[in-house]
Order: sequence, then C-alpha cells, then structure tokens
Amino acid sequence: MKFIRYLHRFEDSLLVLALVSMLVMALLQILLRNFFDSGLLWAESFLRILVLWIAMLGAMVATRERNHISINLLSRVLPPQVYTPLRNLAMLFSVAVCATAAWYSVAYISYEYQDETIAFAGVPVWVCQSILPIGFAVMALRFLIGMVDRAEFWGR
Amino acid sequence: MGALGSLVIAVLAFIGMPLFVVILAAAMLGFLVSGIPLTVIPVEVYRLVDTPLLLALPLFTFSGYVLAESRLSTRLVRVTSAFLGWMPGGLAVVAYVTCAFFTAFTGASGVTIVAVGALLLPALVEGGYRERFSLGLVTTSGSLGLLLAPSLPLILYGVIVQQMDLPNPFTIRELFIAGILPALLMVVLLTIYSIWTTRHDDLQGEAFSRSVAWQSLVDMKWEIPLPVIVLGGIYSGFFAISEAAAVTALYVLLVEVFIHREVAVRALPGIIREAMVMVGGILLILGVSLAFTNFLVDAEVPQALFEWIRTFIESKFTFLILLNLILLALGAILDIFSALVIMIPLIVPLALRFGVDPVHLGIIFLANMQVGYFTPPIGMNLFIASYRFKKSIAELYRATIPFMFVLLFALAIITYVPELSLFFLDRG
Repeated sequence: MKFIRYLHRFEDSLLVLALVSMLVMALLQILLRNFFDSGLLWAESFLRILVLWIAMLGAMVATRERNHISINLLSRVLPPQVYTPLRNLAMLFSVAVCATAAWYSVAYISYEYQDETIAFAGVPVWVCQSILPIGFAVMALRFLIGMVDRAEFWGR
Repeated sequence: MGALGSLVIAVLAFIGMPLFVVILAAAMLGFLVSGIPLTVIPVEVYRLVDTPLLLALPLFTFSGYVLAESRLSTRLVRVTSAFLGWMPGGLAVVAYVTCAFFTAFTGASGVTIVAVGALLLPALVEGGYRERFSLGLVTTSGSLGLLLAPSLPLILYGVIVQQMDLPNPFTIRELFIAGILPALLMVVLLTIYSIWTTRHDDLQGEAFSRSVAWQSLVDMKWEIPLPVIVLGGIYSGFFAISEAAAVTALYVLLVEVFIHREVAVRALPGIIREAMVMVGGILLILGVSLAFTNFLVDAEVPQALFEWIRTFIESKFTFLILLNLILLALGAILDIFSALVIMIPLIVPLALRFGVDPVHLGIIFLANMQVGYFTPPIGMNLFIASYRFKKSIAELYRATIPFMFVLLFALAIITYVPELSLFFLDRG
C-alpha cells in the first residue's frame, strides 16, 4: 500500500508541476516577446499540451477523491434499496465508458506512433497524447475500486 | 437502441454519475448509432490543445484560490465600508460590491459565501439589519459578479461558442465588456431594494472618516492595482486573455506570498493541487463535450430542434421568454459548468436563428444561471449558506425569495434590452 501512496504523491506532483511549468513558460514568453522581440517556437505548443495534461491529471485526482461535478438529484430522495443498485450500475457504467475511451485512445496514439509526428522540440506527438489512454484507464480502474468499496461518487 | 441508451444515461446522470462520463457516454452512443468509429473520441478530446484561450482557465483559477486563502476579503470589506458605509443602505452596498469583485475572481464556486459572506453577515446584523434580510443578502451576493471579468463561466461560454464556428463570431474581450452594465444594473436594483426595505429600521451608518478611509486604502495598496492589470490589460487589448492570466497569477503570488506573507510557500502545492483538480474536472468535461457537440452538429440536431420549435414559436420575444424559463429551471438543477457545456451547443445555434446576438445570449445565459444559484429547492448557494451559517434550508428559502424577485426583474431587463449588454460594442 506504501507503493500506492507514492504513486498518488507522484500523480499530485505531476499536476502541480504542470501548472508551475505553465506559469513559468507563459511568463517567459511574455518577457521574450515584449522586451527581446523574440520567443521560443515550441513554447506555444508546449503550453497547449499542458492544458490537456492538467485536464487529465486533474480529472484522475478528482476520480480518486470522488470530487467530480455531477448532478446527483436522486441520492437524497430515493430509498436505499432502490438507490444502491442504481449507484452500482452507474459505477459499472463509468468503468465501461472510461475503459472504452482508454481502448480507443490507445488505437489513436498508435497511429501517431507509426507516423512519428513531432509535437514540439523533438518530443513526438504520441508522448503528449499518452496521458489520454493512461488517464482514462486509471479512472476506469478507480471507478472499479469505488464499486467494490461501495463508495459514493462524491466524497464530501 | 438510441432511445433506450439515452434513457439509461439520463437516469444514471441523476443518480450522480460524473458529468464527464455522462457526456462521454452520450457522445459514444451517438457515434455508435451513426456508425462512426469511436476513434473519433480521443481525436475530439485532444482538440483541447487547439484552443490557446484555455490557458487562462488554470491560471485565473490558481489566482482565485490564492486570493481566497489570503486575508484579501477582510481588507476588501474594510475599504468598501470606509468609503460606502456612510450612505443609506451603505453596508448592503459594501456587501454587493465586495462579493461581486470576489466572485469575478473565484468564479462563484461557493468561495464567496464561505470567505466573504462569513465576514459580512455578523457586520450587517451588528449594523442593525434584520437577520433574515442579512442572510438573504449574503446568500444572494454569493453569485453576484458572475458577469464580470475574469469569471470562469464567462470565459468558458466564449470558448465553447468559439469552437462551434458560428457565422457571427465575437471575442472574449467583447464578452467581458458586455457584462459590465448588466452587472451594474443588478447591483443598483439590489441597492434600491435594500434601502427601501430597511427604511424603517434603525441602522447604524458609519460616519465617513478620512483617516480610516486612508488607512484602509494603504492596507490595500498592493491589491488595488490588480483589477487594473486584469481588466485594464484585457479591456485595452494590451494583453491577450491568457497573458493577463499569467501576469495576474505572478502578481497575486508576489503580493500574497512574499509581501503580505499571508499564504505560506509550503501551502502552495496544496492550493495548486486543489485548484487544478477543480479546473481539470471542468476541462475534461469541456473536452468530451467537444466530441458530443461534434455529434450533435453531424446529426443536425440543432436544425431539427429549430424546425420543431418554429412550429409553435414565431417571434424572438416569445423565444426569449421560453429561453429564460428553461435556463432558470436548469440553473436551479444543474451547476453552472454542467449547464454551460450541455446547453450551449443546443441553444446558441437556435438563438442565432431567432436573431439573438451571441454576446447578448451569453450574458442572458449567465444571468439566468446566477439566479439559479439560489433558486429553491436546490440552488447550490442555498446549501453552502445553510451549511456555513448553520441555518435551515427553509429559513434560507424565505430569506432569499425577495432578492430573487429583484434579480428576476433585472434579468427581464437584461433579456429584453439587448442594448444594455451591447452598448459599448460595435455589433449590429
């Protein structure tokens, strides 16, 4: 379980690092453009890819903490014997949807892998996209754990 | 299969299945039924990287979270009450102005009620305002300022509509400008109501003191330039939105961490993490809704919807009434981000055909959502206020209802007088 904790720490750190790099790069670009009349060619692409990484990493952590935006109208209204099986179904459904998304993401980036397209500064596109299958797979796994643990979708 | 699938997804959505799964599932179902391979899903989500504007979302949210951790709320209340406290109904105005400013930066995520409302409520009661009135005022103010830059929902509306490639494009800057007068109208109407309803009460106005006012300004000296950087930078066109977001983040960090020292460096990773979990969730919802919108457009759903509505609605005027009713209901059920990503792809093409300007529509949309925040039975701010102030939900219903009518009146003006939103803009 210690390993899992380290993994969570690593995930959190990546998320924080993504924002810090975004801030630093964006400021650097402003500085270069306004005072040195230049700029890094790859910075723009890098910044935009960070948006995707923040989206996926943030959503991964949100899944771990059951902190996703949801509508949740019925949990207070329905009696438990109706609500509980529906919630399990919703969890199972979420596992299936995320797993499907992960599966097709792998197919998608394998095309890019074969094409060897470069996103920025020698980094291939498939590396930037790799967060898509990883993120969806991790979320599928977490919904599965949630179902086994009989957890709610929301923590607080 | 399509109908049955949609029904299952809808039921699970109301059970509390995360919204991104709901939209992702709907998109998958749609593509399956139309026989399009699902590889389109990651392709669409990856389109998040095509929108440089999105950079502004994490950066502004980060600034908002840092500001919420600092003692800015205390300083803000002090400075506004020093300058406005002497007026009739002055303290109420203080509350409106402070909350509007705070919400613009923190995006109406309930932070305003928790951080600012908790300060204002005891101050109002002490100033002689009745408790129910004060409670209603504070809860209502929790979503005031949604129309002001750089509020997250406003940016998000712009981003989503820009993705749709409409014939009548606009910039985020125009959206920011359009929000000013409607937001002002709301504050003015609320102020008039507050003065009128408290006219028989024995209120202790604060006498204006030059030294107190000066001192409060001195305390705020580092934060006063903030709106200038954000708003001035954006409105004047000196900064792109994402650049303004980066500069704001840097400035907020310098002021709150290194000058005021109210936010410890140690606390920053935690704050960043919390802010990014919120933004990440919203960005992913946006990503999957890009896929869903693509499906809707492919399947020509907006056109079909338009043809259907045209069978019983002719005029723009009737359409707007219907729009208000639907949005108010939605605002009471859904949170603002869900409502934005679900409804914009359907409503915007429709509204354009009825001749509504997309900028004006955005303001109407958000103004409705703002009222929805405290519409019974389940407006989000009612629950936050109930939790924070330890009052029953029923008490909050009673407290907020009169304010709701004031804002509904404002909403009607905002909806039927497009000039209010478009006054400073050059849009025909």
